[in-house]
Amino acid sequence: MAAIELDGVTKRFGTVTALAEVDLTVEEGEIFGFLGPNGAGKSTCINILLDFVRPTEGGAEVLGRDVREQSTAIRERTGVLPEGYDVYDRLTGYQHLEFAIETKDADSDPSELLERVGLSEDEGKRKAGGYSKGMAQRLVLAMALVGEPELLILDEPTSGLDPNGARLMRDIVREENERGATVFFSSHILSQVEAVCDTVGILQDGELIAKDTVDGLREAATGDTKLLVTLDADGQSVDDAVDVVTALDNVSGVRPDDGRLTIDCQGDAKMDVLNAIEDAGFAVEDFEAQESSLEDLFATYTETEPAEVTPEQ
Amino acid sequence: MSTRDNPFEGLNGALNAADNQLRDTFGWYTVAKKEFRDASRSKGLWLLTVVFVSVFILPVVLALYFSINLVSRGGADIGMQLLISTYYLNVVTILLPIIAIFIGYAAISKERTSGSLKLLLSLPNSRRDVVLGKVFGRCAVIAVPLAVALGLGALFFAASNIALKPGIYAQFSLFTLALTVVFVAIAVSISGAVSTNTRSAIVNFITYFYFAFGWNGIVNGIGSFLSDYLGIQGSARWHIVLFAKLLNPTQAYKTLTNSMLGQGSLSARFGMFSQGGLLSSGLSNEALTTVCGSVLGGSPATQETQFGTTRVICEGSTPAPYFSDVAVFLYMFVWVGIAAVISYKTFNLADL
Repeated sequence: MAAIELDGVTKRFGTVTALAEVDLTVEEGEIFGFLGPNGAGKSTCINILLDFVRPTEGGAEVLGRDVREQSTAIRERTGVLPEGYDVYDRLTGYQHLEFAIETKDADSDPSELLERVGLSEDEGKRKAGGYSKGMAQRLVLAMALVGEPELLILDEPTSGLDPNGARLMRDIVREENERGATVFFSSHILSQVEAVCDTVGILQDGELIAKDTVDGLREAATGDTKLLVTLDADGQSVDDAVDVVTALDNVSGVRPDDGRLTIDCQGDAKMDVLNAIEDAGFAVEDFEAQESSLEDLFATYTETEPAEVTPEQ
Repeated sequence: MSTRDNPFEGLNGALNAADNQLRDTFGWYTVAKKEFRDASRSKGLWLLTVVFVSVFILPVVLALYFSINLVSRGGADIGMQLLISTYYLNVVTILLPIIAIFIGYAAISKERTSGSLKLLLSLPNSRRDVVLGKVFGRCAVIAVPLAVALGLGALFFAASNIALKPGIYAQFSLFTLALTVVFVAIAVSISGAVSTNTRSAIVNFITYFYFAFGWNGIVNGIGSFLSDYLGIQGSARWHIVLFAKLLNPTQAYKTLTNSMLGQGSLSARFGMFSQGGLLSSGLSNEALTTVCGSVLGGSPATQETQFGTTRVICEGSTPAPYFSDVAVFLYMFVWVGIAAVISYKTFNLADL
């Protein structure tokens, strides 16, 4: 059974189409990264899964249940870290957790949960109104973990977290996955998704434009290694070098840039490329090979600037 | 579960058992409890308690410590009833609904705007649980300080030279709590049906205005419409008009209190037709005779006033069961049901 199944989901707000016929399946036991720039429709999609908003067309199932008809039953078995939430200013961290535990009829220990998300007992006794964004995020993550849910839906979970918090978040995602939970994880920050996810879906302008494993996407994007070669041109035209390299098999693209060549080639063609350049009479001053990162893939797929890597305070 | 820092629960095992039982039985209970816990930590609630207590004990304190004779000498026996009919009745019907609106108008819309509603609905609460939990939770928020104030009021009466009539005071307290809870429930329901606090405040105050000042005008208009356009006249018309009057919780509260203070239920219902309202018009003696005789089942009689005109008085003890005090008390809650259903239906359709 699929943990999440979207079937032709379209959502329009007035004349704006937030989601256009999205089909998506997330298998049980996966860590699924839902990637896309801000405003791509990720939160709308998650809000549909939680029955916060209703699809204009199409339908969705979570844990085999219809999101419209059986939303409460779904949320009994799901832990959620929503986007754009606010905590209850006058209730303490402990009281938030007690509320979640009572609502879920679970027997989780609030102290243990606080410890897992890195909040101290003293912080737990303080009113959540005085929490920083990061502390609130940790508290709501702890609420999501109440009752060992089968599915975790985390909407931009690392926003507001410092690098340590982001690492903790990734560790918790892995631990929960090892326990058997499916994790649905949305982010506009590539490194977060790349680091933990088995499968990635990329959403742009309300459309799912790619879905594959991280490796699969990497291969599908270019299948290439990027080679940066700095030449000592010594009077020779760099264009000659471009011609030489372009003529090689296994090279898919060459871009000259002020005495430097950026070459897309297959991983095992690196030495051939360097030899060909030297045979043509150029001196290679320096070279660097880069495996294409998901960030490049992301750029390839979305043709937008890679999402600003949020300065995490 | 940690209960050590909460004075409102966990006093003993029985309370915990009741807590668990309620939680298992009612989906809204956990939301209501959270709501009350949240509010009981707000300074506003304590301020509210102080206001209620002052309002309810002030006249008694004046009587007790300053020996201000509120009535005439020897009026101690009926002093409490007089205080209720002159002072408390007005305070309750004017002030309490306004306070109730303040308590309830942002209950759901504020959570919707701030985003804490997402926290509530990320947990396995249905939208119905949220509306009901909010209604019950906020009702408790106002009912507890009000009950404290009423209780203290009784103690002060007992200590003063004004006789405390426990039966009458208990009924008065019950009606007052009911009216307040009804207004909170309506305010919370409106809050769930709109998307922002401002809209909720506007709709709430329009509702308050109609209940407080515009109701009789509307009801009389309905009566004329029935008579002029549908040909519904006489007894049927005035039955409908009286029902409509009783559907205003404030009027239901007043007629109940008047009945309890010794007028008797029939006379109190009849009195609703001579009570003023901003837009109400006086009824003809013929109409009043119909109201008394056919609608309430009393004996109408004509009496000459000191100005040489005649007026209708109505004698008799109990009206038909559907106009009895118990029925009127139940009618007070009709709006709670209507408001909650509208609220849930609207809220349930909304994209959050």
